[in-house]
Amino acid sequence: MGPSSREAALRLAALTKTFGRRTVVDHIDLEVPRGSFFGLVGPNGAGKTTSLSMAVGLLRPDGGRAEIFGLDVWADPARAKQLIGVLPDGLSMPERLTGRELLRFTGLLRGMDVEEVERRADELLEVLELDQAERTLVMAYSTGMRKKIGLATALLHAPRLLVLDEPLEAVDPVSAATIKVILKRFVRAGGSVVFSSHVMAVVEQLCDHVAVIASGRVVASGPLEAVRAGRSLEERFVSLVGGQVPEMGELAWLSS
Amino acid sequence: MAVLLIQMKLAVLRHSMTGRRAAQMITGALTGLALAGGLIVLAGRDHPIASLPFDLLGVGFALWTAGWLLGPALFGGGDETLRPEHFSLLSFTPRRLAVGLAGAAFVGVAPLVTLVAFSALVVVAVKAGFGAAATTVGVAAVALQLVVCVLASRLVTAVLGQVMRSKAGAALAALVSAAILAALHSSWVLSPLAQAALRTGFPAPFSAWVAALPSGWGLVAVRAAGQGQWPTVATALAGLAGLGVACWYGWAALLKRRLTTRRASGRPVRVASGRWATGPVTAVAARELRTWSRDLLRFHYLVFALCYALVFCLLPLAIGAPILLPWTGALFALWVAAVSANLYGEDGTELWGKMMIPGAARHDVRGRQLAWLLVTAPPTLALTVAAVALTGEFGLWPWLTALVPALLGGGAGVTVLVSVLRPVPMTDPHRRSGNLLENGTDFAQVLMVLILTAATAAPAFFAVRLGPAWAGPVVGLAGGLALAWLLGRLAATRLESSAPELLLHLRTGVSPRRRRPAPALDLARPHLPKPDLGVEKLGLMLAPAGRRAYVVASLTLCWVLLVAQGIVPALMLTTGQVTRSWFLALHLPQHLQWPTIIAMITLGLVLLTTGLGIGLYYLAKSRRAGIAPADGP
Repeated sequence: MGPSSREAALRLAALTKTFGRRTVVDHIDLEVPRGSFFGLVGPNGAGKTTSLSMAVGLLRPDGGRAEIFGLDVWADPARAKQLIGVLPDGLSMPERLTGRELLRFTGLLRGMDVEEVERRADELLEVLELDQAERTLVMAYSTGMRKKIGLATALLHAPRLLVLDEPLEAVDPVSAATIKVILKRFVRAGGSVVFSSHVMAVVEQLCDHVAVIASGRVVASGPLEAVRAGRSLEERFVSLVGGQVPEMGELAWLSS
Repeated sequence: MAVLLIQMKLAVLRHSMTGRRAAQMITGALTGLALAGGLIVLAGRDHPIASLPFDLLGVGFALWTAGWLLGPALFGGGDETLRPEHFSLLSFTPRRLAVGLAGAAFVGVAPLVTLVAFSALVVVAVKAGFGAAATTVGVAAVALQLVVCVLASRLVTAVLGQVMRSKAGAALAALVSAAILAALHSSWVLSPLAQAALRTGFPAPFSAWVAALPSGWGLVAVRAAGQGQWPTVATALAGLAGLGVACWYGWAALLKRRLTTRRASGRPVRVASGRWATGPVTAVAARELRTWSRDLLRFHYLVFALCYALVFCLLPLAIGAPILLPWTGALFALWVAAVSANLYGEDGTELWGKMMIPGAARHDVRGRQLAWLLVTAPPTLALTVAAVALTGEFGLWPWLTALVPALLGGGAGVTVLVSVLRPVPMTDPHRRSGNLLENGTDFAQVLMVLILTAATAAPAFFAVRLGPAWAGPVVGLAGGLALAWLLGRLAATRLESSAPELLLHLRTGVSPRRRRPAPALDLARPHLPKPDLGVEKLGLMLAPAGRRAYVVASLTLCWVLLVAQGIVPALMLTTGQVTRSWFLALHLPQHLQWPTIIAMITLGLVLLTTGLGIGLYYLAKSRRAGIAPADGP
């Protein structure tokens, strides 16, 4: 069974993960339409990273299914993983390689042809403005450069779905602009993007679909306009996850 | 200030006196006290020669001080109960902080035990009948020696912490620790000399050296006081005091540097073309070779293995015994295996990248094996050929051509398998501070891999011993290839099936087999908890007490039987260079020697395989039982 044209780019069905007695992801159902730019928002500790890790095959779920273009990630990982590019947050990379070496060896490990790998690596490094750092190890990269080389690694094998965990977190505005341009171009060319963030403005700016996760559950999901329901995403988000503005009655000694 | 810091340290020590930590502390204290008691008994006993107790104590104090100086470098970290960084934002001058921390450094079990040990100085003064003045000098010398010991230890640890951030420093530290370990392991060589010295006294140059070391200055002062040479007393005591002050100044300067400078990063690297890497396996091998040369930790390990092999095999030349020299290459291979069996643990969470590439597990394992062989085999072969050529021991060729390929193949297999089955989580490479001391070596793993790799050469050994001349080399080569292939395959299969669990383990530092609440996952946390040795590491939490005891006992005892009572006497009989020592078989009549050795090796192997089998069974079982951290991501 190949990826049929009707299947969603990513579908999570009753996906569940429990650590000890704490259920971090609680029967999440989510559908990312193909060709969409999908934002996953939620407060810290809502289960975004855990959900995405299970969706791409990095963390074994306790229950439920994760499908990429109709292929079960955990039953048929080889075919499903060919179709996705992943950028996790905070994980290590082969740190003692330069950016070019990282792309080259990753491509070869994927079984790609040497010339093809080098051609793509050249282009990616140039577009992402990393070609200045030919002799710098990934280990010594800045946060923005790390995200960019991670994105290049995720794009190298021309995936059809990008799954990105906090791709713009702690990235300087210049690098962030480059990343945004590349992601928009990827979606325009028919690719699908899922990315998590807790910065509402970024999600409003980039995404056409959005899901709000709180305490391991999806509390709203759909096209951006439908989820916003006429308000700003931030207002809607706060009302959905039940936050409240703290009262400033205490800490009186702070005011001089 | 100092009082406050001492109170803080006491509070931290009190809070950490729980469970295993307390047990470790008490065991350490008791061992230290036993050794200290030994020194005191030595000082108080009657000796045939008047100078003997002073020389013996001199050696004892020198070793004790060496332990203080190098212990932190060998076993990781040093006393960091109070980290200077904790106070860097408070408005102290670095010098005041150094005074406070120096005061707190004297609080703890180790300084207390050392005080007991050094009080042998007073005992020896009383025993020699030197009088009240000399005893008073002894008391002063004890205090000064303790100060020098503690502060010098701080200074050396701080220097090493700075030095080990560079490649040259890593090599130097490896050289020093390898030389010390190897010298300790081959100290049996010196036992005939030591026995002679106990009867007839130490040679004069030796006594002079022992007295010249700062650890002997206290003894010099006490002896001089006994003989009424007061200028010497004053010089020795002033020397100790001056040394203490100098150590404190040096340490305070380094403390300031530690708090105010950061290491430079982003130095350009040399980039090799790597044209030979054109497929998945060679790409992994090329990546690994870059890691071997660019990662300080791996480089440090490699230099350590080389230095250990050289020192261990060259040292017996001091008594004119070249017996170990031809085995330098084999020992090097064995040690490289022992220190490189945490490949996945060292790379940290980087594993995710391979998990996203279909079929990468097999290529990754094979590529790492290839790189290990490319790093290990050329020096091994060069060392072996050179040593045989130098010693002219060409009669050993059946042994060497059998055991060297067997060890290389076995090492290539065991390292990847242990890396997958028993990874020791470490801080991710890009979050490490650059100070190698922060990542203490897991000695349980090193020991385990030493034994397992040595055991892979057993078939080749028996083939040479029992078979015709051609059997050894053939079995060695074929066995090496087969083990590299088989163990690599096991590792790849295991990696393919349990990569998500392995990644979680490397990411949280929490073993899937731990059942008690673990620290919350915090990716921003700079340090993982240091790996601690124990039953949980072996995955034995689910095993009944009897089996648990059996596994621990068998895995501890097996190598005594296998190596010390089996392989070593076998090597001696084979080469004809017999030293009976404590080798049971060599004390028996000749016709019983080989049967005894074979029985020992068999029993050792039985213990090893059954212990490992039961251990691995519970390891797998406890892994399947899942993980239970208190808090998820």
